[in-house]
Amino acid sequence: MNPDSENFDSLRQLLALKRHEVPPPGYFNRLPRDIMARIKAGDTGDELGANPSWFQRFLSVFDLKPVFAGAFGTAVCAFLVSGVISSEHTPAFAADSSTPVDPLANFPSGMTDSKEFVSASNSAPIISLFDNQPSLQTTPVVDRQFYYPSGN
Amino acid sequence: MREATLTMTESISGKPGDAVNRAPAAQADPAAIQESELVQRARKGDLGAYDQLIQRYQERIYATIYHMTSNHEDANDLTQEAFIKGYQALKSFKGGSSFYTWVYRIAVNKTINFLKQRKNRSQMSLNDIDFNAEHDPDLVALISDKNPRREAGLTELQEKLNEGMQKLSEPHRLVVTLHDVQGLSHEEIAKIMGCNIGTVRSRLFYARQQLQGFLADYLK
Repeated sequence: MNPDSENFDSLRQLLALKRHEVPPPGYFNRLPRDIMARIKAGDTGDELGANPSWFQRFLSVFDLKPVFAGAFGTAVCAFLVSGVISSEHTPAFAADSSTPVDPLANFPSGMTDSKEFVSASNSAPIISLFDNQPSLQTTPVVDRQFYYPSGN
Repeated sequence: MREATLTMTESISGKPGDAVNRAPAAQADPAAIQESELVQRARKGDLGAYDQLIQRYQERIYATIYHMTSNHEDANDLTQEAFIKGYQALKSFKGGSSFYTWVYRIAVNKTINFLKQRKNRSQMSLNDIDFNAEHDPDLVALISDKNPRREAGLTELQEKLNEGMQKLSEPHRLVVTLHDVQGLSHEEIAKIMGCNIGTVRSRLFYARQQLQGFLADYLK
């Protein structure tokens, strides 16, 4: 396959037209001055056509093939949905059955025998992040002693 | 205008293969020796020497970028940045190739990166056609034939040609520009693009086929 041996004569004649496209008059007199001025000003020449960052290359993939953008969006949605579902099936406070923990172990002895001992929370344990709606469970009323100044 | 036109036309009107014939002789050419001296001086911070290098190659670099972008403003910015980048990177220039090939490669890489970034907002800003075009033998033959090209006129032909060029991929457009417009040899193009000659030939063939298809109404 030799491109020069093929019949592209008409095309090459037409392409000759491009050799006659010229910039505005005096352009090549100004160009070196502009370049030297930018070099003296400390310009690095990295504004245009610099190597794109990894993020720009990542976005350019979507730019070239929109199907990738759709696939990426679907994958993100699937990931979120699977996270929500798995969080609903996982107890928030999973206890290790092999080593049961005594919830009263850290309290001083005697205190646990007291009738005044009150559990830290009367509400139902939260099963998941999305299950913490107010329950209708009633909170037991504890006898409270009100202290009044003596004489009353 | 005329000065700029003639300089640019002279610098890019070489036929394919001319550059190959020039290359071996360039070793003994005083101009080539002067180039290495200019590069050495520029590496030491002599801005006057670099200015001379710019003046020597600005037209070819600009023309290549312009034919790649079909936009004068973009070509102006990219030409400036290619030469600025060349000056910044001059210390890393080993002299394995000519300065011309080296700076050409910087310009081409910058242009291709730029074109990838602007992908969806291409807008043509074409230069005027110089009045020598009417006397160009190729164009005289082209326009004198009785076909759609005759009615089209040079300006419309120019627009269609640039539209066709913009439809090519960057590597194919670059090969057509360097070979069929700039007149560089396959070997020189291979050095600039960093590929082998076979790749250059196949890209050129494919690009011409594509272009011929796009411009079928304006070709015989």
